[in-house]
Amino acid sequence: MARMGMVFDIRRCIGCNACVVGCKQENSLPDGVFFTRTLSEDYGVYPNAGRVYIPTLCNHCEDAPCEKVCPSGATYTREDGIVMVDDNKCIGCNSCAVACPYDQRTALGKDLFEKGLFGEGELTAFEEQGYTRFTPGTVTKCDFCSERVDAGLDPACVVTCPTDARIFGDLDDPESKPAKLIKERGGRPPMPEKNTKPKVYYVT
Amino acid sequence: MATEARHVQNSLKDGKWIRSTCKMCLHSCGSLIHVTDDGVINKIEGDPTNPSNNGKLCPKGNSAIMRHYDPKRFKQPLRRTNPEKGPNVDPMWEPISWDEALDLVASELKKTIEDDPRKILPSLEDFQKMNVWNWPLAFGNQNSFQSGGTMCGGAYHPVNGYIHSSFAVANDAKHCNYWVNDGTGDGFSSHLHAAAQANWVADARIKRGMRCVTIEPRLSISAAKSEEWIPIRPATDRHFALGLCHVMANEKRCDYEFLRKDTNAPYLVGPDGTFMRNEEGTIYVWDSESASAKLWNDPSLGELALEGTYSLDGKECKPAFQKFLDILEECTPEKMSEVTTVPAETIIRIAREFSEAAQIGATIEIDGRTLPLRPAGYNYYRGAQGHKHGFQTNHAFKMVNFLVGNIDAPGGLCGVTLDDQWIDKSHIIPGENGMIEPQPHQLGPLPPFAYPPTTAHLLNYFPVGLHPPHLNMLTFENPEKYGLDFKPDVMFVLHSNPLWAMQGPREKWFEFMKSMRFIAVSDIIPTETTVWADVILPSHDALESWNMTMIEPPHTEGMCLRQPAVEPLYDTKSEEDIMTELSERMGILDAYNEVINIVSGFHQKPELLLQPGRKYSDKEIAERKGLLWNDKPLDWYIEHGHSVTPRRTDKWYRPWEGLRLHFYIEDMVTLPRELRQKMEDAQVPFRDEWDFDDYQPLPTTVLDPVHSEPPEYDLYGIFFKDIQINFGESLSNPWIKDIVFRDPVHIALILNPKTAEKQGLKSGDIVRAESPHGMIFGRIGVSEGMHPDTLGVSNSLSRIKVRHEGVRHAGGHFNDLLPYDLHNTDAVTGQPETVCKVKLTKLDDWPEALKQGKSVYDLVDELKRPGKAGSH
Repeated sequence: MARMGMVFDIRRCIGCNACVVGCKQENSLPDGVFFTRTLSEDYGVYPNAGRVYIPTLCNHCEDAPCEKVCPSGATYTREDGIVMVDDNKCIGCNSCAVACPYDQRTALGKDLFEKGLFGEGELTAFEEQGYTRFTPGTVTKCDFCSERVDAGLDPACVVTCPTDARIFGDLDDPESKPAKLIKERGGRPPMPEKNTKPKVYYVT
Repeated sequence: MATEARHVQNSLKDGKWIRSTCKMCLHSCGSLIHVTDDGVINKIEGDPTNPSNNGKLCPKGNSAIMRHYDPKRFKQPLRRTNPEKGPNVDPMWEPISWDEALDLVASELKKTIEDDPRKILPSLEDFQKMNVWNWPLAFGNQNSFQSGGTMCGGAYHPVNGYIHSSFAVANDAKHCNYWVNDGTGDGFSSHLHAAAQANWVADARIKRGMRCVTIEPRLSISAAKSEEWIPIRPATDRHFALGLCHVMANEKRCDYEFLRKDTNAPYLVGPDGTFMRNEEGTIYVWDSESASAKLWNDPSLGELALEGTYSLDGKECKPAFQKFLDILEECTPEKMSEVTTVPAETIIRIAREFSEAAQIGATIEIDGRTLPLRPAGYNYYRGAQGHKHGFQTNHAFKMVNFLVGNIDAPGGLCGVTLDDQWIDKSHIIPGENGMIEPQPHQLGPLPPFAYPPTTAHLLNYFPVGLHPPHLNMLTFENPEKYGLDFKPDVMFVLHSNPLWAMQGPREKWFEFMKSMRFIAVSDIIPTETTVWADVILPSHDALESWNMTMIEPPHTEGMCLRQPAVEPLYDTKSEEDIMTELSERMGILDAYNEVINIVSGFHQKPELLLQPGRKYSDKEIAERKGLLWNDKPLDWYIEHGHSVTPRRTDKWYRPWEGLRLHFYIEDMVTLPRELRQKMEDAQVPFRDEWDFDDYQPLPTTVLDPVHSEPPEYDLYGIFFKDIQINFGESLSNPWIKDIVFRDPVHIALILNPKTAEKQGLKSGDIVRAESPHGMIFGRIGVSEGMHPDTLGVSNSLSRIKVRHEGVRHAGGHFNDLLPYDLHNTDAVTGQPETVCKVKLTKLDDWPEALKQGKSVYDLVDELKRPGKAGSH
């Protein structure tokens, strides 16, 4: 069975956040809710200062702390390794959000679906067609666009990225683009000290 | 909210995909629009079949849905009922019918035209619709209140027109190995088809190991991604470029063959600065072999001299190249270092790296042609070029490229046309004496000299200018001095927001707006400008309308179709319908049709000409533009979305083969003489204030006047955008807001930490920033990525309160700090200074006026609460 994962090419990423907006479009995310974010971090001292842009999303950990702490069994891992949340089982206890060392979980307050993207208590037609997927009171996160993956497509952020800095595929297939990239350029997972075994890697 | 739908992800829901063209900025990236079976647009992606954007869209392009569904969109024509006008005054809109609205606007315009057409002040700024942009020509009006020209490339475009006969330029990402960005984000975050360029540049960097160097006062995206960031004192980029030229010339690191054969660098310049000509006007060169002057086209010519001083007809003369060497003498790396703060050794090293990377002498075979391969390009744009001496500054950057022979060469700096119109049309016109014909007027002809002026922004006195709209304020404040025998009092605005972007204090522009008798605005959403309107003519958005265009594509050519994805949501009209309905009512429909014919190039295929007496829709004009390009009917375009292909290499590389380029711009000697004479003859009262010294055939080291402001203004103020907020407005868009106000560079006035310390300031302090021209307020942030002389202000902090809940005001617009006078305006092109000197004062609290209502800073504080994804 496949083990789906992603590689971020830090040299390619320009921090434009098109991925973030592409994700918001694809997944009808409410205001201030993110399945992926691209952060920036300054380093060095003038004039030798620099900045690195760091894409982030759910790392779909093999030893996922969120799954371990979930009291209702809502968080589960698909056969292809994608970590999912079953809204019907989620009781909104927020344990997963506390447990996730990567801060990739977001509680969906009811107010988000009332105030709307424009904050005026009026939902747009876009939101009306999209918000039906969410259950207020549950905790949500990135699912690697599992429906798109099932349809043979790459996640929305991957196809959106202007510089092709996000590379998705089966990490168990040594011929896959992400597997080759991890091998060739020495991919590193985020916060390895947490022993979560992320399926997301960074190459620099 | 459980769902029965088959899919929850938007792109997979039942519906259809439509090929169209993005319009979240002025460029024309191919898009795919997904419309559900219920008629809702729920996903927009880049069209992978369109090579002009490589299947990619930037964050703005990705957020077009939120513009479409913005609840604040104008939903029907509106008339103001509140006679009081002000930036925050509720116009108390009253819905009216289209007939009422059009009759009202047309009668005001018609009345004014019959009185004096110069009294109309137009601001039409839909850059994807030149047919609409040029509407005022239908009644002979060449005023302009649109801010695009000067806030974009007031001097950049005319100089590109001189050197490449093109509107824009780009480094050739397909072959470049050493990419210099000076004051621009090309290839990373801005300018031409930004998402596609970023894609090509990322590939070049990763796959080919292309080295990037960014020169800029701040650590921009380009600087952050480059191998080297060279911080520079603002408004000194020309000096850096001249320092590079000094080193390259001194160390003989130039493409002398190119300079001799492909440019006018060997043409002999006489004591008066013009070329030495015989009686027939043919120009002389110096033949080194026979040690004599010969005509440039003499078949017996040996090697042409580039250097030396010669005598001809008793006059001392020098090759144009020698004239440049004379200027470069004083441009030592040490002297240029003092001006720019860039270490002399860095200037020397970059000059060497750049010229070595250019591989002077190398060739490449492309489509059967042997071309010089020059894989190094010095690219630049708004930040570097937007200065008082803009013409010279742009020319200096070109010189770095001239010296290595990379102009329009594979890997070098290549001309990018605005819109070729027809696949077989060349943008090059042969000119006199073997040179290309300069085409500085890339947006159409300028009004001729006239006194009294026929334009309120004095365009009559800028023979190679782009519109300098800030000068409308000069003539408004002092019409007698500038000889204005008319007063503009009717404004027509379409897809333009001058009250946001115009430079000079907002308070003054508010007075300017109050002086208007009548203002009509066509737009989609409320802006800083729409609040002043007497009538709103609401237009379709880009997802509801037709268009055919191609705007400034590096590497590609063709036409991109915009087609409606859905029926209009509201009672709106296309821009074309609004303008033709008005034109018919004003009695200028035939004249307008002819303007469209000329601007769109329909005369090249007469069967496409719009006929008198008929009104043409956006769809009909789009269809004709497609037919003009490649004879394909609209149905073909509806299916394919575009006719974009890689640019024909005979048009992309050295399209001027066999002609010579203007290394030395002789017009800069002759034009000011003619202008001075005309001003003298007409006794133009302000002729003594006209800076004829701005006209230089070669760039010089003159300092921009911003460096001479009083010493208490101890910092330089700069303004910047990034890819999320490029070009037009997007801060009202909730998705853009969601990313921009989480980015540290967009949420504070930024100082280098050491500078902050010296100023007694720390992160979070509220300050007043004053220039000699205006003031703003803001909250300080610190970053090591800022030149110590500089205060950096993001465009995200530039909005003032508008009647749109989504728009967050900050502490005033940076452009309030900028001058609007002649002293700081390039007398050649009209380009104003876009850097200012500022002083900071720490305040205990915000001024009262900024405490009311939600500001950017309130939002930033709200967002800092925990529980948001991705904080590790």
